[in-house]
Amino acid sequence: MDRNYCQELLDAIERADRAGAAAVVDAWAVGRSFSQVVPELLSPTLESFGTLWSQGHGGVSLATGYVASKVAEDVLSRLLRESSPDGGPILPSKGPVLLGNVEDDFHPLGRNMVVAFLRTAGWDVRDLGVDVPPAQFVDQAEETGARVIGASAMMYTTAKNVARIRAEIDRRGLTGKVQLAVGGAVFKLRPELVSDLGGDGTATSALEASALFERLWQRSLNLDPTPLRALP
Amino acid sequence: MNQDPRRVRCIACSIFRKELEALQASGRLDLPVEYLNSMLHMVPAKLEVRLQEALEAARRQDPDRDVVIAYGDCCGHMEDFEAEPGTTRTQGINCCEIVLGRETYRKLRREGAFFLMPEWARSWRQVFVGQLGLLGPCAKTFMQELHTRLIYLDTGILPVPHEELAGASEFLGLPVEILPVSLDPLLANLRQAIQTAGHHD
Repeated sequence: MDRNYCQELLDAIERADRAGAAAVVDAWAVGRSFSQVVPELLSPTLESFGTLWSQGHGGVSLATGYVASKVAEDVLSRLLRESSPDGGPILPSKGPVLLGNVEDDFHPLGRNMVVAFLRTAGWDVRDLGVDVPPAQFVDQAEETGARVIGASAMMYTTAKNVARIRAEIDRRGLTGKVQLAVGGAVFKLRPELVSDLGGDGTATSALEASALFERLWQRSLNLDPTPLRALP
Repeated sequence: MNQDPRRVRCIACSIFRKELEALQASGRLDLPVEYLNSMLHMVPAKLEVRLQEALEAARRQDPDRDVVIAYGDCCGHMEDFEAEPGTTRTQGINCCEIVLGRETYRKLRREGAFFLMPEWARSWRQVFVGQLGLLGPCAKTFMQELHTRLIYLDTGILPVPHEELAGASEFLGLPVEILPVSLDPLLANLRQAIQTAGHHD
């Protein structure tokens, strides 16, 4: 009987068992091209995990979410090490996009998880770290050509700094062209803050961030398809 | 301005219990305090409900008495509580900032510190294993990825729990540092909140 690798991987993640998850990935890879690991194993597993997460399933803890992101990182690292036979890109290339914790926010966990899941989905993520001032977000967007900024905040006190990023985007005439995705605990508790503070969208879990970034990227292109970065 | 601090009552996180009791015993703080379980911090929605209930009960009991909330920004609608007439909150995003003051807190957080207040240092296993679900090697990689060291904030009220700290250090894979902290910033913060409460008169 064929093994159900997706279920085994999901079980390992739900046990917060990173080593166990790696063993499942290794077993799956025997006799298969590793270049197919994302569509055939990782994505369906993370999709199932994301469903449990968004439903508030009892087995989904902070630790299991963390391990899911580590599993994604581990798979991605291996994928990048094992280049495709024709030398072509292993993952689709999307982006660039930016991610950072707003000024005064020192809670990187959620952001780290989003970075891992976005990279697994093929996004070129520039991670700006914690305590990022509004001007730095927008400077980096202009410098890299990122059409989406992801800003993370855990508490209302720090989430108010999202409004300052919004103001900086608008002040530089980049409204619409640079989309502002927001996330973090306070936005789950108070979804009205997304628009109140000037965000363009949010996701209910880190696993849904890629779909959000796709929508926002497309919206930016629809509003203004000219490149963000000045050509040399 | 409210000249009589006894006309103010306080609803506080139990993370401050020993410290506030010591301030009361020394005569530096004179107001009644009700405590809510600090573990509510792990479930902000529950904390919000309990805090709302405590505020409503306090107002029913003595409508003329202002209320100071000794809390950080620990639930989604804390600002709504503060906006209610006769209610003020201590300034700071969490208990550690309230005890350390903003600049010291920011400096140490930038350095990657993870703080343990005296009460939580004694129940670290309940927080990390029971609440966060961190087990085995996962706990170490999780903490080492996010932090550089544990800092025990020694407020001088309880004996330093060396054994528990050693256990936390081993389990979480981070060195532990003991930082003596004065109760003055906490007291000043509370006094400011008490004074601000008076403006509601």
